[in-house]
Amino acid sequence: MTERANLVYLDYAASTPVDPWVAEAMAALMTADGNYANPSSTHIAGRRSVEHIEHATGQLAGLLNTAPECLIWTSGATESDNLAILGAAHYRQDRGRHLVTMRTEHKAVTDPFKALQKQSFDVTWLDPEADGLLDLAKLKAALRSDTQLVSIMHVNNETGIIQDIRRIGELCREHGCLLHVDAAQSVGKLPIDLATLPLDLMSMTAHKVYGPKGIGALYIAPRPGVHVEPLLFGGGQQRKLRPGTLPAQQIVGFGAAAAIAQSRMSDDFRHLSAMRERLWSGIRDIPGISTNGAIESAFPGILNVSIEDIEGESLLLALEPLCVATGSACNSKTQEPSYVLRALGRSDELAQSAIRFSFGRPTRPQDIDLAIDLYRNAVARLRGMSPERAA
Amino acid sequence: MSNDPYSARVRELFDAPAHAGCLGGELCAKVEDQGVRICLCAEPEGGEIRRMRFLAWGCPHVIAAAEAVCAYYEGRSSAELLDFSALDLMQSLSVPVEKTGRILVIEDAVRTLGGIVRDASNLDN
Repeated sequence: MTERANLVYLDYAASTPVDPWVAEAMAALMTADGNYANPSSTHIAGRRSVEHIEHATGQLAGLLNTAPECLIWTSGATESDNLAILGAAHYRQDRGRHLVTMRTEHKAVTDPFKALQKQSFDVTWLDPEADGLLDLAKLKAALRSDTQLVSIMHVNNETGIIQDIRRIGELCREHGCLLHVDAAQSVGKLPIDLATLPLDLMSMTAHKVYGPKGIGALYIAPRPGVHVEPLLFGGGQQRKLRPGTLPAQQIVGFGAAAAIAQSRMSDDFRHLSAMRERLWSGIRDIPGISTNGAIESAFPGILNVSIEDIEGESLLLALEPLCVATGSACNSKTQEPSYVLRALGRSDELAQSAIRFSFGRPTRPQDIDLAIDLYRNAVARLRGMSPERAA
Repeated sequence: MSNDPYSARVRELFDAPAHAGCLGGELCAKVEDQGVRICLCAEPEGGEIRRMRFLAWGCPHVIAAAEAVCAYYEGRSSAELLDFSALDLMQSLSVPVEKTGRILVIEDAVRTLGGIVRDASNLDN
């Protein structure tokens, strides 16, 4: 076990610590003296569990300015993405089998689309521009009369690039197709007003916003034609869309995390912006360094940089005890260059040198200063032992 | 169960590569393949390698392997370079099998250096 005290954690886009208030709220539902009853039970203890779940659902709905009835609890964003994409595509397949998404989506989105391709759905894969943004003219050109679903993420998990989901949603409405948004990186961090945003389905998770792992949610807009076929069967919970015993303590954790996020979103945003600016200011003069995606279009909690003539795996090891990511955490055990960065037009070598720094509430200026020192030293050390390229 | 991709020995060699650098001169072997760039150079004296240095662009296993090779050959007969096999090195560093190609680049560089040193020695004689 590595001692926590020695670590400098700048990987908050992968996961965040559970807020102490969230942990306290959850603990109250887990032990013998708490409300641990199955919420499906009709006795008084079960009904109390339901009350806790309803309160938490209201907290998440409040954060998003939507009705609690529009939220389905899941195990996390991956399940929500699968349920939204597979469920909506199958539900609407009689109207058309054309789907649209981007190459820079998380694998929890791209893999369901690949599965649908094997079921004879026709998928259009859109590339981002060099700055990471989707060219809306390209989206408009891709939409067809038989397009049933578009899936575009709000904040990219690797680059932090923020897509214009309002404009994308308007285009989808004009063309009569649904829009699914993977908002795993943005819920609780950026304002999302589902009462006015033209979204149909939205995936989210708790553990990116100081809630527990193992709980997520899917928003389903209360609009005709917006529906998903379930992936799971049995039990009948949640209108049969996602059956299974509701994990009350996890849901309460997500609800509490949502309430906290709502109360301090502006402060969090300012803090993250300051941390990113401090880090970028400290490393931007290193020769050959560049951001992946336009920094002015990115969520400030993420800074993704590549650097010329540095081998990424060695860089990551040389940066220890700094905890950062190369590519996304979900595929960090592979040695393939990030497909997201390749889609931005980065070479294999530059993509492989990428480091994603991501910041959170606990990040302190001294953490950033240490990260700057570690990064500069690591680059200098690795370049110092690097031979010239063959002519 | 550890999911650390690096053995303690690899970490030790990577963190403190005492033999990183270049000796200059002609006795250098440069090989570039498998996404790895390696330059090995030697300073022989009386049939033995007095000093050996490396420059490397590659993953931590490559850098650790290059450091281990240099440390091993200092004080040994330069003729031994020609017989170098990466197999023992891979085992001692617990290099994952998918990185075999990269370590074989080091094997190429060591043997190439052995040939360069031998040829230079023949010229001197």
